[in-house]
Amino acid sequence: MRASIKLSGILLLLIVMTGCVAHSHYNWCDYDTKMYSHYKNPAQREAFVKGLKEIIEEAEPEGKVPPGIYAEYGFALYEEGNHQEAIAYFKKEADKWPESRVFMTKLITIAGNRAHVQKENAEASPETLMHAEKDRQKSSAEGLK
Amino acid sequence: MKKNAFLFLIAVLFAFSGCAHKELNKQDKFLSAAPRSILIVPVVNNSIDVTAADYMLSTLTVPLAERGYYVFPINAVKRVLEDDGLADSSLVHTAPTSKLANLFGADVVLYVVVERWDARYAVLQTTTTVAVYYQIRDGKTDELLWDNRVQMVYTPDAGSPGAGGGAAGLIAHLVVKAVVAAVEKAAPNYMPLARQANSRAFLYYPGDGLPPGPYVTAESQKN
Repeated sequence: MRASIKLSGILLLLIVMTGCVAHSHYNWCDYDTKMYSHYKNPAQREAFVKGLKEIIEEAEPEGKVPPGIYAEYGFALYEEGNHQEAIAYFKKEADKWPESRVFMTKLITIAGNRAHVQKENAEASPETLMHAEKDRQKSSAEGLK
Repeated sequence: MKKNAFLFLIAVLFAFSGCAHKELNKQDKFLSAAPRSILIVPVVNNSIDVTAADYMLSTLTVPLAERGYYVFPINAVKRVLEDDGLADSSLVHTAPTSKLANLFGADVVLYVVVERWDARYAVLQTTTTVAVYYQIRDGKTDELLWDNRVQMVYTPDAGSPGAGGGAAGLIAHLVVKAVVAAVEKAAPNYMPLARQANSRAFLYYPGDGLPPGPYVTAESQKN
């Protein structure tokens, strides 16, 4: 019994370890399958965002983060209303890929404006605070579309 | 008579140089534009399979990035275009390339049209025929820099019959095939097919494929 638990533990570890193997310039970590699943089941948004994060966590230590991934993850965060963290990832994309700078600068401005509005609402009266909460729910609902 | 032969030789030379010139032109335009970044816009689907566009869009990034180009984040691009009133991919494809490229700061834009994607279901095997047209246009001049059309027939591999299986092996093989056909019909997985079409379109180089981009050529110079 104990041996079988140990064995399955080793097997699990092996599966986890081989889960994302870089076979090329970048570590994609099943990027295309994740993207397709997202289009097929847009309601399973959490899995999509987690999947993007997983690519970054796997690829970053070896410097093999593919082009567009920081931006894609940042955009997912933006759609969830997490504007500050979104900006941090847009900046990472712009730093790593100069080709992305025009687009990233635009996204940083848009996310910055949203974050500003959010902050103002948070400092305002309870009535507008409720409004902000509605806004937040609305923006995450938009993300679900 | 001698003069005739000479004229003939000249004519032949002209014909040859004409060919060579034309062939060079196709890759020349792309090479002289020397793009660093590719904007992939949503795929237009003219086939009978509603999922074909999603399969294609999801699988385009990997081969192009591996080819050495910066590839814009497809989902962020798609959502931004939707917010700009371009939710319909055929509208995106008819918009001026320079306008799209300007919006994102892209050097070139890739347009993909799925022309055919139809499966023929049979008891033992499902055969799918696809035809995809790829176009890359210049982000400044709107000019066509490269294009390719891929048509292929795909049959999911049900494995080969076991060696020395005899009659029993053959029956088992038929059962496996029937199961595969049934599974394909219920929930077809077209990821391998989409990846294959893209590889065929981009990777044959020199040939009709895409020349390697800056991130690949920089690396080979380092080595």
